[in-house]
Amino acid sequence: MVAESGISRGRAIIKRGKLIKIDVSFREDRIEELKITGDFFLHPEEKIDELEKSLRGKSVKEIREVIERVLENAEYVGLSPDTLVEAVNQAWKRRN
Amino acid sequence: MELRVIFDKKNKAAWNMALDEAVLMHLGELGPTLRFYGWFPPAVSIGYFQSMEEEIDLKKASELGVDVVRRLTGGGAVYHKYELTYSIVLPPPPGKILDSYRIVEKGIVNGLKALGVDAELSGINDIVVGGKKISGNAQTRRYGGMLQHGTLLMDVDVDEMFSLLKVPQEKMKDKMIKNVKERVTSLHNLGIDIEFEELQKIMGEGFKKALNAELYEENLPDKVLSQARKLEVEKYGSRKWNFKR
Repeated sequence: MVAESGISRGRAIIKRGKLIKIDVSFREDRIEELKITGDFFLHPEEKIDELEKSLRGKSVKEIREVIERVLENAEYVGLSPDTLVEAVNQAWKRRN
Repeated sequence: MELRVIFDKKNKAAWNMALDEAVLMHLGELGPTLRFYGWFPPAVSIGYFQSMEEEIDLKKASELGVDVVRRLTGGGAVYHKYELTYSIVLPPPPGKILDSYRIVEKGIVNGLKALGVDAELSGINDIVVGGKKISGNAQTRRYGGMLQHGTLLMDVDVDEMFSLLKVPQEKMKDKMIKNVKERVTSLHNLGIDIEFEELQKIMGEGFKKALNAELYEENLPDKVLSQARKLEVEKYGSRKWNFKR
């Protein structure tokens, strides 16, 4: 399944009332691309792009700090720093 | 507060979403505005953060002549067929965004009460009757204004809805359909069969009371309609927007 050396992909789906799906591609242990989708609420909505952009290039260990910073003044339902960290970690564990 | 009210008809999905946004863009000139509308052809709208391809069976939608559109607001996929939809644009009230959903949701609760239905708010964005969902609501803040829109189910065809929606685990689909049938209700299921136009008027009174507003009927100026036409073509009718996630 290895298409390019060092690249792996993982997906996680977390359902706690609302659904969060995360698709991540990793280069070695760093996030290369990620997409967060789901039926959650996040105000302002554009924070999602900022979140995805800020997480690129980060290692799994570094994500909590980034997520907490980006979402600091945001309001959300069905999405939180904890669930996002959990989802990325799941995607990391399940990568192929 | 004076609240402009528009009793609209059933429109195409892209137009409905475009007009919601155009009204929001012109809040300053229009003042607080409430619009009731429906969907024809029937449509599935997805939430701002959802993936079109993952949520909707697009082949099935095309076969059934069902429109698809991405909303400006978060939340889940909704099949709009037998329903009344409202959208309201207001100056943002002070306080938390998430606390403000219910200010508007009370309009629907009041309207239902006038129909003899005892409804209550559930979570941030649902209205339930006897624990079963009858209305979903979603909000966004943009252009210095607040837009909230939501549905009121007049009837529901859960099997048809699930023929259009994809589920994370296909083998769980039958169980999910059964679950949704138990958790969702509609005016029809509650023994209320009412004309779309009449329901708009009753819900209008509900919002009037909830917002302590004076209602006045006035159409939207051409400027707003042109803006909506532009958004209909360039945004809500475009692949770029609808498939952006």
